[in-house]
Amino acid sequence: MMKSKWVVLLAALCLVFALAVSASAKTKLRVVWMDYDARFNTVYQTMEQDFEKENPDIDVETIILPWNEGHDRLVTWIAGRQAPDIANTGTRWVLEFNDMGVLEPLDKWLSPEFIKGFYPGALEARIKGKLYGLPVAMSARTLFYRSDLISKPPATWSELVKVAQDVTSKHKIYGIGLSGKKFVELTEFVYYLYGNGGSFFEMEPDGSYGKAKFNDKAGVEALQFMVDLVHKYKVTEPNVTENDRGSLQDLFIAGKLAMVETGPWFAAMLQERAPNLKWGVAPMPHNDGKPQSTLMVTDSIVMFKSSKNKEAAVKYLNFIYRDKYRLEFNKAFGMLPVRASVGAMSYFQTPYYKVYIDQLPRAKGWPLMSEWSKVEDVLWDAVGAALLKIKSPKQALDEAAKEVDAYRKK
Amino acid sequence: MLMAPALLAMAAIVFYPVISTLLSSFFEMNKMGDWVRFVGLGNFSSLFADKTFWVVLARSVFWTVVAVALKTLAGLGLGILLNQDYRGRGIIRTLIVIPWAAPVPIAAMIWMWTFNSQFGLLNHFLKQMGITSRPPAWLANPTTAFWANLTVDVWLGIPFMALAFLAGLQAISHEYYEAAEIDGANSLQRFSYITLPFLRPVILVATLLSVMWTFNDFNVIYIITKGGPMNTTDILVTYLYKTAFLFLDFSHASVMAFITFIVLLVFSLAYARLYFKEG
Repeated sequence: MMKSKWVVLLAALCLVFALAVSASAKTKLRVVWMDYDARFNTVYQTMEQDFEKENPDIDVETIILPWNEGHDRLVTWIAGRQAPDIANTGTRWVLEFNDMGVLEPLDKWLSPEFIKGFYPGALEARIKGKLYGLPVAMSARTLFYRSDLISKPPATWSELVKVAQDVTSKHKIYGIGLSGKKFVELTEFVYYLYGNGGSFFEMEPDGSYGKAKFNDKAGVEALQFMVDLVHKYKVTEPNVTENDRGSLQDLFIAGKLAMVETGPWFAAMLQERAPNLKWGVAPMPHNDGKPQSTLMVTDSIVMFKSSKNKEAAVKYLNFIYRDKYRLEFNKAFGMLPVRASVGAMSYFQTPYYKVYIDQLPRAKGWPLMSEWSKVEDVLWDAVGAALLKIKSPKQALDEAAKEVDAYRKK
Repeated sequence: MLMAPALLAMAAIVFYPVISTLLSSFFEMNKMGDWVRFVGLGNFSSLFADKTFWVVLARSVFWTVVAVALKTLAGLGLGILLNQDYRGRGIIRTLIVIPWAAPVPIAAMIWMWTFNSQFGLLNHFLKQMGITSRPPAWLANPTTAFWANLTVDVWLGIPFMALAFLAGLQAISHEYYEAAEIDGANSLQRFSYITLPFLRPVILVATLLSVMWTFNDFNVIYIITKGGPMNTTDILVTYLYKTAFLFLDFSHASVMAFITFIVLLVFSLAYARLYFKEG
């Protein structure tokens, strides 16, 4: 009895070994993708199968991680020297991973024509002139408004105030949502800052970030405008420091908000949770006399230095950026195109997508720095203090700038 | 020898993390939490130069003192009530345990929604009862948000106190009270000369445990306000969490853990002396 067990075990081991040997005859490529949506989709599988058909000598292993776990799982793999060849990441992580020194610069592997095919603004993962990540998914923020209550959405801040006052007085509804509760990202302040031609940091000639700039005229005006929306015009919900982006979306869904500023995922939420609500999207409003702009957020795909199959990885990268697969990806996940050739496709020529795509050339991303989470926290406190009228916008931002500069000097 | 497995397990899950954290507070660490170089007390001095840290520490102490005092008083009152003889006592005793039986995160979420100024039950109630037509946005202002958090913490902590005191009260023999009654002691005298002295050990242990739990009450604050608005409801443990896992600043987080450890240790030792002095 005992003996036969050993025989079976030995046979199994031989089989595993044989399989391992036969598999290693092919180049193996470990690719990590993120799970953009819980819905069933076959995008990643299709890409793997089609790619293997074209390249029979390469065996792709597709690993799909949920966003919540993705960062920690990748960090664990990197620390355990088991990084995959290619991984889909949040662009902010690119900075962090690069700090750890594990990323391969991509410029030398990819042709300039290929890189030129991206929207310039989407190529965020450039650190000191070197490209460490290719944009893989992109979203831009817009203004969602109740089309049954607002006939013409506001384009500028003064129109925004007018429309909001109008809708507040005519209907029992708050004009526009504003959130002052800490959230994973500095929502609203960034919209008003960018909509006033502002930016967070000075840019050094070498492309790195200099001193804090968010306390200049543009920044102070932006925060002052937010404070005015709450206290002077009284067109927001009264409890702004209690709400984050999520609860603003809830308020809009509940029919208590006439306008809210958020991203494309909200369209899917509205279709699901409030199918009878009449709504539209419009470009993010900007200050009168300043150029229109909005926040754009990208995710990037990176290659690890430790990869032993860089040629195969580069082949795979070139493959997945073909228009066909890009369109399939964007369709499946509701994301915006990152390549101009895809943006020109008829699928994106609907009025809904047009609002997003038209904004892209002027859209700006988050500052990409490894200290960002601290900066964001300090800024949240400044915004909160101004909204609660504990400090004036100028004072709050000046103090935040001092703290941020001191922190980054360390 | 027989204790070896237990000691080993203790070493792995108690001593190792504690000692590693203590050591970490003397090192500069990278974002992966590896030690980069020894900096001695450098982490301490830079943390002590941070004004926010002192504000948060002072708030933690205030939070703990007020919350534990309230829990003790309410728990003592409830314990005495539950110790009386009346019909339906069993049902009442069961009901008292409910806040304790609810998982803390879920209870905290329910309270978060209760306090919500737009959809919350509390403001709906205040408006319906005509108490005020413009109820405050509880979680939107620093002061109200602090007291809202504290209310929930106290609400969650009362059952333990009440049950501990009830157990202590039940251990006091009726004969003492009868003897005192014959001697003509009134109820206040019976409480202060019989109940309190006998309850002393229970009070000491229960408040000690409560102090530790309250000082480290992460769940309530993190779920209800995340330390906001701004940093105004952060206590040391939520601030520590942010420092470590949001800012990836493990050195200063270790120092804070170290300080928490020392504060609670000193406190426990002082308490233990008090406890054994009598015992």
